Amino acid sequence: MASESTQGREPVIRIEGLRKSFGKHVVLRNIDFEVMPGEVVTIIGASGSGKSTLLRCINLLETPDAGHVWFHGQDLAAEHVDVNKLREKIGMVFQGFNLFNNLNVLQNCTLAPVTLKKASKADAEAEAMRHLDEVGLADFAKSPVTSLSGGQKQRVAIARALCMKPDLMLFDEPTSALDPEIVGEVLSVMRDLAKDGMTMVVVTHEMEFAKNVSDKVVFMDQGVIAEEGDPRQIFTNPKKPRTREFLSRYLEDKPDQVQEA
Amino acid sequence: MGTTQEAQEPSMEEEKGGLVRFFASDHRYVLLGTSVVALIGMWFSMQPRSSQSFLANAYALEVVMYYALMAWVVVSLVALVTKLVHWRDYQQKSPFAKPAAKHVERICSYVVWLFSAVLFVDRAIMGFVAIVKSAVGSNANPQDFVGGMVYMVYKGRGIFARGIATTIELAVFGTVIAFFLALLLVFLRLQQIDRPDNDFVRFLKVIGCGFAKVYSAVVRGTPMMVQSLIIYFAGFAVLSGSGMSTNDIRAVWSTFVAGLVTISLNSTAYMMEVLRGGIEAVDPGQTEAARSLGLSQWQAMSKVVFPQGIKNSIPALSNELVINIKDSSVLSVIGVFDLMFATTTVAGIYYRQLETYIAAAVCYLILTMVASKLLSMLAKHLDAPAMGPALSSSEVAVTTGIAGSADQTIKVDVDHTEDRVRRGGM
Repeated sequence: MASESTQGREPVIRIEGLRKSFGKHVVLRNIDFEVMPGEVVTIIGASGSGKSTLLRCINLLETPDAGHVWFHGQDLAAEHVDVNKLREKIGMVFQGFNLFNNLNVLQNCTLAPVTLKKASKADAEAEAMRHLDEVGLADFAKSPVTSLSGGQKQRVAIARALCMKPDLMLFDEPTSALDPEIVGEVLSVMRDLAKDGMTMVVVTHEMEFAKNVSDKVVFMDQGVIAEEGDPRQIFTNPKKPRTREFLSRYLEDKPDQVQEA
Repeated sequence: MGTTQEAQEPSMEEEKGGLVRFFASDHRYVLLGTSVVALIGMWFSMQPRSSQSFLANAYALEVVMYYALMAWVVVSLVALVTKLVHWRDYQQKSPFAKPAAKHVERICSYVVWLFSAVLFVDRAIMGFVAIVKSAVGSNANPQDFVGGMVYMVYKGRGIFARGIATTIELAVFGTVIAFFLALLLVFLRLQQIDRPDNDFVRFLKVIGCGFAKVYSAVVRGTPMMVQSLIIYFAGFAVLSGSGMSTNDIRAVWSTFVAGLVTISLNSTAYMMEVLRGGIEAVDPGQTEAARSLGLSQWQAMSKVVFPQGIKNSIPALSNELVINIKDSSVLSVIGVFDLMFATTTVAGIYYRQLETYIAAAVCYLILTMVASKLLSMLAKHLDAPAMGPALSSSEVAVTTGIAGSADQTIKVDVDHTEDRVRRGGM
């Protein structure tokens, strides 16, 4: 798997001793975490376990209280770091899509490249069309984003992030706001992305995706990483009782997946 | 509660279509409603004719019209009595309720409306024309109310025109200047400390935000009349402190300039709050998305948030123009030659206050109605959410968000605690 082939290489993201609290409520305690190039890491866990906060700390949408977030050897969590420059290399996809409603699909994709990379409008549009084609939405380039369905919006959001040619993609529960029928179209785009070797960190409740697509699964509980490892091992033979409890309740709900496991 | 509301709703709808039905469908309205119109027409016919009356030359025609109206009233009365007597089987038995009779009744009702309208034009409108003609041609101020008003407005038309022009200039320029100042101020107000900022930028941001807050509180917490006096005399004091003569100061720091500064600065504070409401209604997730792509705070605001926020605020912002048309009247205390000052001047010349101030009220009403009509057309053109005219400053404090609201609703129950506190973190 990817993790074996990348032995000895520099990790894309290395997190050390990360802590984060909102007021008195401690969300993350002492997180250590690594993502190697080309690796697909899924973060699973119950609501409120700190999954999303961990993800948002990686691109500094949330400011950590303590600890380090090394991205290509540069510490994002240090004071006065130009996070804007580093965020250009970290794409993020949100649960609520967060498309720019005042722009159409194509403009959503070209806004950042034109503004930040000083790319010419024609180049940016050609690049954007390529990514929109990848997610199957080239026909909607001129549509206002408010006219799209949820699944289409999320695919535009993925294309928008890809237009910045990121080294790392963060997915914050990308399918949680979608109805079950269209979850598949977003997941298949993500699967293709993983196949192309994109480094991805995915917070998700889609256990099937976590099991089949990821190279590493991280189970979070109460603000700490309770268990991490190979998806086959986590899903078939979890070591910690809390992991077992979380997954068993999940697998009971979906008996068809127990058989696959 | 539920049942009464349900019962009220259909009656509300009936009221809406009432005017249409008045002409078209309901039997009662045709007979009784039109009778009221006929009585009004007869009352006009009994009024003395003015010199401009065109029916004076056609006396016979007016007699025919008068008796036709009276006949209609009599027929209606008979129909009413019949209905009261035969209330049980009126629809079946009465000759008035037959389809052919209803048809004739409707045609007759149109004739009644026509006759009454002719009488109205002859007595009321031509009567007003006669008053205007005599007042305009008169050498002395007529004693009657309408005549006096027309005479004073006519004689003081230059003063009124100058006042109206100044009022429009103050309101339009003041609103436009205030809009741009408010944009600047709302950016100061909404910006937050960002990680890449050095200590000097952070210091400036804190100062800017504090200034915007204090400015808004002070300006909205004091009357514009007091503000105008302070600004006028403060400007005067500063300029005379720099050694200018009084005449030079008057040339530069005219009452109009002082008034324009006052109205701009005052309106800025209100518009800032309106813009803030509109901007804060934009889904914060869009800012996060923009920041996650690497856009700076300024880029995210100017490219994504402000365009949507301003669009949200357009209805409330345009009401500021309407408010400024009215509120500019207080600037007459520093001697700005606006409509209010012009009215006071004319009232002083003729010593007839009530008539002139009513004329001024009519002028203001026409100005604000035209302005709000134009603005609502503009808002429709810009595809902004519609809103009725605001009649006081306090009404514009609340704005509603449209953009982004569809996306906001879909956040499901995942990571509640994080969502709640995350707003402040960015």
